[in-house]
Amino acid sequence: MSNEDQNEIMKTAADHGACKEKLGKCEEEKAEYLKGWQRTKADFINYKKDEVARLGEIARYGSEDLIKDLITVLDNFDLGLRALEKAGPVEKGIYMIRAQIEDILRKRGLERIPISVGEKFDPAVSEAIAEGESELDAGSIIEEIEPGYRLYDKILRPARVKVAKGKDTTNK
Amino acid sequence: MPKILGIDLGTTNSAVAVVEGGEPNILENAEGNRTTPSIVALSKSNERLVGLLAKRQAVTNPKNTIFSVKRLVGRKFGDPEVQRDKTWLSYDIREGGTGGIEVKMGDRWYSPEEISAMVLAKLKTDAEAKLGEKVEEAVITVPAYFDDSQRQATKNAGEIAGFKVRRIINEPTAAALAYGLNKQKNEKIVVYDFGGGTFDISVLEVGDDTVEVKSTGGDTHLGGDDFDKRIQEYLVSEYKKQEGVDISKDPLALQRLKEAAERAKHELSSAVETEVNLPYITSDASGPKHFLLKLTRAKLESLVQDLIERSVTLTKETVTAEAPKGAGFKLSDVNEVILVGGQTRMPAIQNAVKNLFGKEPHKGINPDEVVAIGAAVQAGILQGDVKDILLLDVTPLSLSIETLGGVATPMIPKNTTVPTSKAQTFSTAADNQTSVEIHILQGERPMAADNKTLARFILDGVPPAPRGLPQVEVSFDIDANGILSVSAKDKATGKSQSVKIEASTSLSKDEVERLRREAAEHAEEDAKKRDLAESRNQADNLVYTAEKSIRDAGDKISAEAKNAVAEKVDTLKKVKDGSDAEAIKSAMANLSAEIQKVGQAYYGPKDGGETKDGSGNSEAKSD
Repeated sequence: MSNEDQNEIMKTAADHGACKEKLGKCEEEKAEYLKGWQRTKADFINYKKDEVARLGEIARYGSEDLIKDLITVLDNFDLGLRALEKAGPVEKGIYMIRAQIEDILRKRGLERIPISVGEKFDPAVSEAIAEGESELDAGSIIEEIEPGYRLYDKILRPARVKVAKGKDTTNK
Repeated sequence: MPKILGIDLGTTNSAVAVVEGGEPNILENAEGNRTTPSIVALSKSNERLVGLLAKRQAVTNPKNTIFSVKRLVGRKFGDPEVQRDKTWLSYDIREGGTGGIEVKMGDRWYSPEEISAMVLAKLKTDAEAKLGEKVEEAVITVPAYFDDSQRQATKNAGEIAGFKVRRIINEPTAAALAYGLNKQKNEKIVVYDFGGGTFDISVLEVGDDTVEVKSTGGDTHLGGDDFDKRIQEYLVSEYKKQEGVDISKDPLALQRLKEAAERAKHELSSAVETEVNLPYITSDASGPKHFLLKLTRAKLESLVQDLIERSVTLTKETVTAEAPKGAGFKLSDVNEVILVGGQTRMPAIQNAVKNLFGKEPHKGINPDEVVAIGAAVQAGILQGDVKDILLLDVTPLSLSIETLGGVATPMIPKNTTVPTSKAQTFSTAADNQTSVEIHILQGERPMAADNKTLARFILDGVPPAPRGLPQVEVSFDIDANGILSVSAKDKATGKSQSVKIEASTSLSKDEVERLRREAAEHAEEDAKKRDLAESRNQADNLVYTAEKSIRDAGDKISAEAKNAVAEKVDTLKKVKDGSDAEAIKSAMANLSAEIQKVGQAYYGPKDGGETKDGSGNSEAKSD
């Protein structure tokens, strides 16, 4: 083999090596880009799903603030009604207006949290704002001071209750 | 890629955020709230409660409801701060082994970090439920003044909760990260943090890749709650003056008043006056009593003036006093001021801070969430979410083509993330038009002549046809490098032409600013020009339609009717090239009415077969 041939072979081998190296790098880059692309695409698909869920939430809870404000009006309405009842018989129409307001709110997903005196106080749905002496067991509800409301799955406002101290309480 | 949570473990409330799709977002807890009270309780039925549920039963269970545990974490029992807090905390604390603190809940004594861990564990569970995946790692924030022992205790709390704590960072540093201020070299930053129960002031200096805390100050017993209390006291005393009744003894009345005071405080951040309206607040022998009181912003400010002044004095001291008490800076040295904590929404506080430093503070991010957001940004960096290769550019200005009447019709609006593409079909403006010119523009002005021309080309060989019939699809495509390719294709013949424009997004910042400013300045006159151009286009179209209808009808309609239409057409032709849009519109209305008369007589209801101006079928400028 002549020197020239040998040089030629060496050169081809070197080229081959360089090519291989370049290919390796390209493959590495390709894998990285593909991964990035897949991830971005997946992120986008997931984002779309999240967005649909979020829009659903907005549709459900979009009027939350308004409903919260209206609950206060409803509370005050009840306070007024109670005061009227004390003074004498109340015109039926007033109750009908109240029912109307409640009905509108119910149609928008608002539900009153049922609370009954004597049942165990549950902080998941109610808030204790006072304690009182009672014959009932410690930790029982002795009075519902303000009703609580749920908007679909969310507690919009817990029921405000008075809880029995009981005889065995260690708290002051 | 597993997610890392950013957690703001606060004295009264905590928040969690995570980077998703490159953006930090607050995660709601199981109750659907963006913050979680940092409260743990052992209920009377021996159930462990954390967050809102613990708060709801606090009144009936004060000895076993642990709040503000952050005040105790990592401290020694003999610490004067701890001795001071001991006097007002409703639960029992004692000295633990090695001089630490123990907190009693139920029958057991816990270390403060165990209690913090219970809060963190709830945050973890709720975040996992929200994300739908396991989360193992977290970045947790602590006040800048926390010493090694307090930081270690916070880290321990994280580990007890099942986290691998990737980093403990300072709350003010997190706030700076949230605003992206960590990249500004050699800047002095003041973080003014007015939370619910604590007031912290921190002075930071950003160096090369580091954020150094130069000094810290504040008052661990000054917060937004003090503001609420002041309003509440004022309302009680006013009511006593008005009605002679002390309502502070009635728990329901007090509860309603407390909420009203908080609501009034919030409302007075945006309104200058609000009304506290509490009907049937109480009753006496004379019947029910109501509470109605106007509260002005000025009144609120006078109620809390001393608290604000105190915070300003402390701020000044922390910035200007010589080390170790302060940073030894001049107030004018400070480059950036950041507001943190819900109470900083109050305009009087924002003004006080602004006046002190003579510059507008940063307040764009929700001040209750900014620390958690910053922690998530740090977590995102550790998570490796922010990779250069994924940074995508946006088009700084709208890209449009010129359509009939010299109107610039946008194809790709400004701030669209690239790569992107958009295609729209246009038509011809004149009968037998065989070529269309595609004039590509950049800018926000509605008229083509006011924008920058990027390129023009001509698509010819469109087969002769009545105007509006040929369909020419124009498509814009910008690749990730900002190279814009525009092509136009005649759908009938398949003939197409295209042009490539390099660097359509690489305008200098100043140039973009100038163009946007010009667009804003000329908005009104541009709107008029556009309105005129559109009216002319519609007039042109109507003249064409009217003349065609008359021609097509031949002798099926009376000469009289034809003349009436022709007369109205002439009137419209006279005004349509003028510059009075109103005159054009009224001439158009007259002509339309006339045509309808003819139509009713001849066709019955008019059918709308002709092309109309509108999206997807505008007419390209005739060549």
